[in-house]
Amino acid sequence: MSTMIPVQPASAQPKPRSSIGWRILWGAVAVLAAFAMGAIAQSRGEAVNSMWLVVAAGCTYLLGYRFYAAFIAARAMTLDNRRATPAERLRDGHDFEPTNKWIVFGHHFAAIAGPGPLVGPTLAAQFGYLPGALWIVIGAVLGGAVQDFVVLFASLRRDGKSLGQMAREEIGKVGEFIALVTVLLIMIILLAVIALVVVNALKDSPWGVFTIAATMPIAIFMGLYLRYARPGRVMECSLIGFVLLMAAVSGGRAVSQSAALAPWFTYSGVALALALIIYGFLASALPVWLLLAPRGYLSTLVKLGVVLLLAAGVVFLRPELKLPAFTRFVDGTGPIFAGRIFPFCFITIACGAVSGFHSLISSGTTPKMITKEKHALSVGYGCMLLESLVAIMALIAAASLDPGVYFAVNSPAAAVGGTPQAAVQTITNWGFPVTAGQMNALANEAGERTLFYRTGGAPSLALGMAKIFSSAEWNRGLIAFWYHFAIMFEVLFILTTLDSGTRVGRFMLQDLLGQVWPKLGETGWKPGMLATSGGIVAAWGYFLYQGVVDPNGGINSLWPLFGISNQLLAAVALCAGTTILIKMHGAKYMWVTGIPLVWLVVVCFTAGWQKIFADAPALGFLAQARALQAGPHTAVTPQLVFNARLDAGVTAVFLVLVAAILIDSARVWIAVLAGNRKPATTETPFVLSALPEEA
Amino acid sequence: MRRFWRLLWDVLREISDERAYALHLARHGVQHSPEEWRRFCDEHWPKASRRAGCC
Repeated sequence: MSTMIPVQPASAQPKPRSSIGWRILWGAVAVLAAFAMGAIAQSRGEAVNSMWLVVAAGCTYLLGYRFYAAFIAARAMTLDNRRATPAERLRDGHDFEPTNKWIVFGHHFAAIAGPGPLVGPTLAAQFGYLPGALWIVIGAVLGGAVQDFVVLFASLRRDGKSLGQMAREEIGKVGEFIALVTVLLIMIILLAVIALVVVNALKDSPWGVFTIAATMPIAIFMGLYLRYARPGRVMECSLIGFVLLMAAVSGGRAVSQSAALAPWFTYSGVALALALIIYGFLASALPVWLLLAPRGYLSTLVKLGVVLLLAAGVVFLRPELKLPAFTRFVDGTGPIFAGRIFPFCFITIACGAVSGFHSLISSGTTPKMITKEKHALSVGYGCMLLESLVAIMALIAAASLDPGVYFAVNSPAAAVGGTPQAAVQTITNWGFPVTAGQMNALANEAGERTLFYRTGGAPSLALGMAKIFSSAEWNRGLIAFWYHFAIMFEVLFILTTLDSGTRVGRFMLQDLLGQVWPKLGETGWKPGMLATSGGIVAAWGYFLYQGVVDPNGGINSLWPLFGISNQLLAAVALCAGTTILIKMHGAKYMWVTGIPLVWLVVVCFTAGWQKIFADAPALGFLAQARALQAGPHTAVTPQLVFNARLDAGVTAVFLVLVAAILIDSARVWIAVLAGNRKPATTETPFVLSALPEEA
Repeated sequence: MRRFWRLLWDVLREISDERAYALHLARHGVQHSPEEWRRFCDEHWPKASRRAGCC
């Protein structure tokens, strides 16, 4: 149904408090934000306390929430608590159910918080702590939180529709198709890159592999316990699972020190990749109640607990930032990933600043639970700010490591040299002193054989977290436990994303292929299920394998690809949001989503272009293929050449898809703004809410 | 403070699907039983597993 937007009367608009005390308070927050930002931005050559960063970020979030988000809510969205939400109008006690604001907040945060805001900032710390910190804070306040908020609002006003459905109705069929294909491609790249993070974290680490291997029987035990022993006792079961998990983390030390057991849990990267591919296939085909659901509960609760623990660690222990504000690698010669600070800092940190994936959650279950329209402000905008704060905590954990250690852990052998002596020499020559003895001592403390070449971000983040936790007086000497606890947390978290993502990808592939051959679209048809599961696992498994055999460590090529694809999905969501705002108000508020959209398009297209066509083999995929062909040939050279060309092709597909949706959207915007098209939207008609304000 | 702990408990119940199960019981007008829990799981989890978790 097509309706014009009813204008909310001025009397219903929020009345800002304007007492002098209130103004002084917000003025003080603004001054504190500016002062703390100045302290971290102007510091050169000496260690800075991380509390400055926390204060700068916290105060900026408060200002953004109180003023910018409130402005968007009142003027651009005209949120109106008198209007019944889908949860009230379509209430069915299942999908649609009015829910307490803070419960929806917890639900939404648990759904949007993934490994991205932990890993991305850790990798981007190669530029120094300042570029990443500024992008995380400013990007979230002006871009990421705005995207989540606008998509949530749009879905709220459209019966809780998905991003794809809204893109089709507001822009056209091209929009929906592109949103679908982009999501599927992102899913494949995402699963490959997070699996690579797992492989690099567990490679040659019997303690880590034992702990993670133990999570499988623990999850299956939980599944059986919940189904047959104590049905419905999810929290009780999760608590038992958590205790068993802690026992596995502690027991891992004995396994790693046992000459008989350690070899059983020591694997190379290729072997671990193969194990993950088999696991992904089984997890997507097994009954949900047996593995996926219980592990999902455990992982979510551990995730929330660790985020709180990390926040408490940073606030109470106040670690110093040892990385400099800027490193020499802003020029694009970094060992962890190639490319200059612009655009690659903004690509590497996607989740935590702007994440297109959030638009799927904001137009998924969340809009079906919101009781009052104005709750969208705290849920949509507020949750993203909280995720941004998690990214800041991860950045602090990475930046609190000695710079030499940070680069020794995160750099691949191809960048620093194939022996520990060569690596420490190269890194010391860069101006970040480190010795082989220091690294060996650290590896011993962490219960690992080596910490060299542990690319992917997870080991350095775990090391940073372990250092913070074990700096407390009562925790000294527990680095090994905390390191493996952090690894367990990251890997458990990632595996949950991996198995649920494989399953979701399978359904998406079935939806797509079902349009060509309807039988394949039937989710209950076993051959179709197995074929599509196999297809998705083969797709991400190939990219994973490619990353594992990549002489540059894989992260250099795959993480930027993931960042570009995630930001491009954000561009699709912002296109839909801009179209809706133009249809509501003409050009008046199109800048709200238009500015982050323009920024993301510039960043993604610059990064995409450079990844395809740059002359430097470390940066450009095609140049890499040419260099491989010109260099000495080995048995794997043809495969590496093919991989580089494939990555170039995937990047090009992303750019073409988003260019198409941009052109399609611009066509609609011009038609509406020029008056050639009636600015009708698919917003549902106004229905007066019968629920009290605080339901 | 009691309100805070109550809210935290409710958030944990939401994340653990215990709230969804309570709604399921209310919707069908039945009491908790092992069979009812399994029925809820068979209805709820396959649907929930189709939703993408974030990265």
